[in-house]
Amino acid sequence: MPPSARELLARLAPDFPARHVGEIYTDTTEFMSISAGDVIKLGERHFLVLRDEAERRFGLEDPKFWVKRCRNLETGGRNLLKLVFHESFPMTIGSMVVTCTRSPRKESRILDLVRGDPRFMQGETVLDTAGNPVRILEVVAGKRLDEKIEALEMPHQDYFHTLFPDVLARFIEACEAIAWLHERNEKHGDVRRDHLYVSYDTGRYVWIDFDYTFDFQESPFGLDLFGLGNIIQFLVGMGQHTTQSITPAQRELIEPEDCSIMFANRIVNLKKLFPYIPDALNNVLLRFSLGANVFYDATRDLIRDLTKAHDALDA
Amino acid sequence: MRDTKILIAFDGSDNSLRAVSYTAAMIGGGQKRLVTVAAIERPPDRDLFPDDLSWKAECARRVDAMRASLLDAKAMLVAVGIPDDWVETRFVESCRSPLRESMECSIGTSIALEILRLAEEGGFGTVVVGRRGVSKQEEFLFGSVSTKIIHAAKGLAVWVVA
Repeated sequence: MPPSARELLARLAPDFPARHVGEIYTDTTEFMSISAGDVIKLGERHFLVLRDEAERRFGLEDPKFWVKRCRNLETGGRNLLKLVFHESFPMTIGSMVVTCTRSPRKESRILDLVRGDPRFMQGETVLDTAGNPVRILEVVAGKRLDEKIEALEMPHQDYFHTLFPDVLARFIEACEAIAWLHERNEKHGDVRRDHLYVSYDTGRYVWIDFDYTFDFQESPFGLDLFGLGNIIQFLVGMGQHTTQSITPAQRELIEPEDCSIMFANRIVNLKKLFPYIPDALNNVLLRFSLGANVFYDATRDLIRDLTKAHDALDA
Repeated sequence: MRDTKILIAFDGSDNSLRAVSYTAAMIGGGQKRLVTVAAIERPPDRDLFPDDLSWKAECARRVDAMRASLLDAKAMLVAVGIPDDWVETRFVESCRSPLRESMECSIGTSIALEILRLAEEGGFGTVVVGRRGVSKQEEFLFGSVSTKIIHAAKGLAVWVVA
């Protein structure tokens, strides 16, 4: 007879309070039933569930019941276990609605593809007893890039001249990682600034979360490129600037064409707010503006222009 | 020879049917023109399906529908008096298709570039494409076959039917 969770935890996690001990699960299909104190058994490995993971955006917690933060009882290390959750949902981008789908097998495939590549979150896929592909993810030892930028307490001009050149160089490297995926006919699927971490050890940027997909026929990587555009605007601006967040005098200068092609209130022509931004860099931002007539359709083109912009910072 | 060969980019949509209809009106009853109605297979993204069985079923359904649409397009051209042997249809399978039988296949990164490749390899002088009239935002995110054809075409005429 297999050991109960109580016996198992008494042996492998004696510090864990007995009153919180739950069940052992080998089938993760009913992921909503699995909660803190339960143990997920995958092969010979045991993972003690500590809590459901949550995304923190706009000051709100959005629980992700299919992602469990766990302690690996054999190694003592921390892992995230992503359980199978199929969903399709409409994602609103400005005035447009795009259908996104969560695909466990896409994420599994990308995890295999990027194994050992420090530009990406690492992990592996193991089938549970019901055949569900459970992704065992290593927790990225780092901090979210957007949180690091938002925590800076310095004038924009100081940031731009001292820290930004290195931020841009790192971001170009992160774009290279996305281009590398595209060249292998894969997309990240959810390029957002909170999906980019800065490694504590190396300072390198690390992409996380690859399970979204979408079906754009003529522009298969369009949404990834759009995401990269949003991030570079945020990094150049040391945060996001909207028509509501600027002074009345600045607002006088802003035309509709200076704003994002997707979000009418987001200013992307940042040179109007920060005149020391070189044209080579501002021109990249303008490719994501309502005033643009030509758009990026390949990440390599964006990288080429960002590299020129980086050179212009040194000049 | 090149000037007498016309390639219609076809995807079964109303816009591409307009392109066929316009071509029929332009050349019906006139001098000899060889018309190819070409469709590039666009299988649905495999990751959007919970399993391969349902993905393959949808791929097969789309292939059948597209082959039938191509025959309809040919019939539209023949109906205006263009001889049957002046019109051919072509269906380029996707390299990603689970049903693929032919050696030649589309890698699927850009329908527009695939069409232009066919035009160049086949010595076509004219490419006809329908335009769906997308907003700037849609073009930014979803891309536009006609816009990309206009930008990338070299050494041939492009008819854009809006």
